[in-house]
Amino acid sequence: MGSRSPSIAAIGVIGRHNNPLHIALFPATGEGHEQQRDKLEYSFMLNSSLDIFEARMPSKTVGHDFGLLHALDERLALYGWLTNSGVKLVIAVDMEGRTAPTPEAGKTAILGLRNSDLAPAFQALQTAYIRLLRNPFYIPDEHNPQATKGSGLLAITSTRFLNEVDRIGKAWHPGVTVI
Amino acid sequence: MSRPTQTQQPPPPDDDPLNPKAAASALDFLLMELVPLAQRLTEQLLAREQALLEEYRRSRGFDWRAAKTVGVGYQKEQQGVRDGSGDGNGEQGVVVSADGSAAVVATGGRGGGGGGGGGGDVGAVVEGSGITSLGFPVMSEQTRESVFWRLDGMGYRVGQGLVERFSVNKPRPTTPLDAIKFVCKHLWILVFRKQIDNLKTNHRGVFVLTDNRFQPLSRMSVDRRTGIKGAEEALARAQTFLYFPGGVIRGALAGLGVEVTVEASSTEIPTATFQIKTKGAKP
Repeated sequence: MGSRSPSIAAIGVIGRHNNPLHIALFPATGEGHEQQRDKLEYSFMLNSSLDIFEARMPSKTVGHDFGLLHALDERLALYGWLTNSGVKLVIAVDMEGRTAPTPEAGKTAILGLRNSDLAPAFQALQTAYIRLLRNPFYIPDEHNPQATKGSGLLAITSTRFLNEVDRIGKAWHPGVTVI
Repeated sequence: MSRPTQTQQPPPPDDDPLNPKAAASALDFLLMELVPLAQRLTEQLLAREQALLEEYRRSRGFDWRAAKTVGVGYQKEQQGVRDGSGDGNGEQGVVVSADGSAAVVATGGRGGGGGGGGGGDVGAVVEGSGITSLGFPVMSEQTRESVFWRLDGMGYRVGQGLVERFSVNKPRPTTPLDAIKFVCKHLWILVFRKQIDNLKTNHRGVFVLTDNRFQPLSRMSVDRRTGIKGAEEALARAQTFLYFPGGVIRGALAGLGVEVTVEASSTEIPTATFQIKTKGAKP
């Protein structure tokens, strides 16, 4: 029964018109603590984070990193990042998501995360999104609810992007510098 | 008595793929080829549509009334394309406007269906290209509008992708003016290897970008022996090459969240002017 350390619980990619492009969930791991994430619950959480983006938008003119958006309870916290084109990346972190690999890591759950801990994850996500845009089969306007007038699926379906998001979510741990 | 260290490496050989000249030349040639490509596409699609219509008219036992409505509908579309106005038939796109709709997709669908049937006889009235008095091929009015629309659509997607990729570490533009400044400075350098020379605005949503030596127009030749007529004709032919960059601007600004219409024009080669109007602007 080791101590626990933070891991990513969910990653959300939300388009400029507040349309969800992709939501990825990562279950908690470790002995006796396995827990599946509830999709509906996390959808609500990501939705509520949009309000925080809007509220902070006028005062935040410099920088993309919105840092800690909201700490829901002792376990869950939401961090956000806004790209230049209006795409929002939201990461929900579970402070007790995995077994601590080392005793020092276990202490992070008590001490808390810094904003800069999540920057590598956001950078990697942004790189993955840009790579998706360089795919000729991905047309941004098709995923824009205003442009397509609500016909068809609006979420991202590119396997490469989905796998990359998965990899980022699983590979992150506090203190990692490049994913 | 040591030799001073070499601070500059010798330039890479010309056929080294890492030589930036190779990439720049390739981009220039590609941009040049886009215009004839759009032209060929449009002409072929129109030809197929004409053939299909001919086939339909000639097939036995068909309803004259239906033919009339189809004919009228077809005429209306052509009218819409020629006027460049989005009329009641909402699917036709305006020549250079913010809403790039799926008009050409609709035309393409019909053309594709008739390709098999009407392949043989293209005796229909295809308003094909004529020849100007100086001997250069010119497109018909109808083809012209479609070609412009198509080029603009291509530029739009390119602009969106470009702005996403290259605005990564730059500060976020908060006003339309900031977004246009980003386009003037960074995007222009990336695509055309120079900055825009002049940016004017009336602070009410209209911006005018002037480039005194616009890269695609910089290598065009004008036959001065023919006088004014030659210059005008060169201008008309150069106009086609301005639509793709116009689309790139529109796409880039759309990527940054600013909906605009872009009008590209040139009064003298190689100067080019782009007039950008945000939605709801007062001239």
